[in-house]
Amino acid sequence: MDPLMTDALVIAAQTAFLIVIAPAVVGYVRLIKARLQGRRGATIIQPYRELRKTFRKGMVIAESASWIFHVAPFAIVGATTAAASLAPVVSTVQPADLVGDLFVLAALLMLGTFFLALGGLDPGTAFGGMGSSREMTVAALTEPTIAIAVLTLALTTGSTSLGAITGTVLKTPAYAIGPGHALAFAAFLIALIAETGRLPVDNPSTHLELTMIHEAMILEYSGPYLALIEWAAAVRLTLLLTLAANLFLPWGMATSLVPAALTVGLCAIVVKLAILGLLLALLETRVAKLRLFRVPELLALSFTLALLGAASSFFTK
Amino acid sequence: MEAAFSRITMTAASAMLLLALVVLWRRHAGAYITAFRTQSIALAVTGAVVASYGGASELFFVSFMILVVKGWIVPSVLSGMDAKRQSARELRPLLNTETSLLVSGALAVAAYEISRPLAEVMNLPTRGGLPIALALVFVSLFIVVSRREVIAQIVGFLMLENGIALLALLGAYGVPLIVELGVFLDVLLGVLVMQAVVYQIHDTSAD
Repeated sequence: MDPLMTDALVIAAQTAFLIVIAPAVVGYVRLIKARLQGRRGATIIQPYRELRKTFRKGMVIAESASWIFHVAPFAIVGATTAAASLAPVVSTVQPADLVGDLFVLAALLMLGTFFLALGGLDPGTAFGGMGSSREMTVAALTEPTIAIAVLTLALTTGSTSLGAITGTVLKTPAYAIGPGHALAFAAFLIALIAETGRLPVDNPSTHLELTMIHEAMILEYSGPYLALIEWAAAVRLTLLLTLAANLFLPWGMATSLVPAALTVGLCAIVVKLAILGLLLALLETRVAKLRLFRVPELLALSFTLALLGAASSFFTK
Repeated sequence: MEAAFSRITMTAASAMLLLALVVLWRRHAGAYITAFRTQSIALAVTGAVVASYGGASELFFVSFMILVVKGWIVPSVLSGMDAKRQSARELRPLLNTETSLLVSGALAVAAYEISRPLAEVMNLPTRGGLPIALALVFVSLFIVVSRREVIAQIVGFLMLENGIALLALLGAYGVPLIVELGVFLDVLLGVLVMQAVVYQIHDTSAD
């Protein structure tokens, strides 16, 4: 086959996998949480049913909404899909390394957040603006953390390309038990929780407007737009969990494109997502939501962890 | 083998540093004491690792002593002190949490920068952990000066002691046994004395 075709196929397959599996990941976390709280919970495929239902509904759009309100859902989906296409999911062979690295990924995720905040501000309702302002506060504090955690990885492995990082860590497992790696992983996990609006930073299942962050921004959206945004949020969660799994613990990933290795890689990522989802559900069951003014403390902690990680990998080089 | 040894000691040292950061982040004396107990256990584990890889068998005994004295007796005494504290309110540090964390991050970077020449001339496999141990000393000192309540200052002081012990362990595979024993006695005596006078100190230093 034409090498360019192969590359395009690899990227498309991994992106499609992330996008298709994303609602199931959300459903899985909800199911585990329900079980831990003594409820029976809906099945894993419930988010797919919800998406189908929401896509079929009509839209109610505020009179004060401008074109930004209509563009935002597509911009969010576009940015998230583009970010998802960069991630190594099943194999460390990631042709998208040529197109963008970790910095591009972080910028694309930030672009999605930016449009989400704009969409929340645009109709001019009180809760939307409040949600956007909070989201920007959190995002401004998590971005440096992600950048420094990434820098730590780049310093130890000598590359900022996602596929190259996973490949290097896979070849030299000694990197993965060093302090730099472990600290950056802890920092990345806290940033992940803040970025995806999970407890203790934001409550994904809240119905109380005063405590919302992510939900407050999408209050004005309905019908297909809402479905798009919900799906993009699920993809974002799945993408960040995949990155946490594959950048820091890449074992099991395929290093070449032979079918046997790819099957192992596919099983590995499903198992890793299941474990990380379980940990996320456990955490969300154990902790209460932080007061909004204590959130910066948590993010300062993750920033310090990332800084320590970067310092240890920079000075002990 | 040596690379694994070096990595394990560095990771254990980082865990100890993280437990010092826990003190800056949590607000209850109980969490402080748990952090100190876990940190002492991590120190004992580091000692045992250095003993088995570095061939210094008396360090096994020292690790055991660390486990008993700092991992069990001292935290129990501290818990007793905390239970007797009149105000069960959360601790109020002199500096807010965000600033404390950022300052400790800066201190850690400074520790790396300061200890770099030292780590370059050494050829022990444990040299990578030296900056972390130094950072732990700095951060613990910062805990002592930035907390208002006496019990938090004691925890900071004990962590400082842990940091110095870690520095000795990684920099020289421990100090002679007799010195180590003297230090244990000092720590134990210090904590007991502090326990006795802590309420008078509290009365005169607070407000």
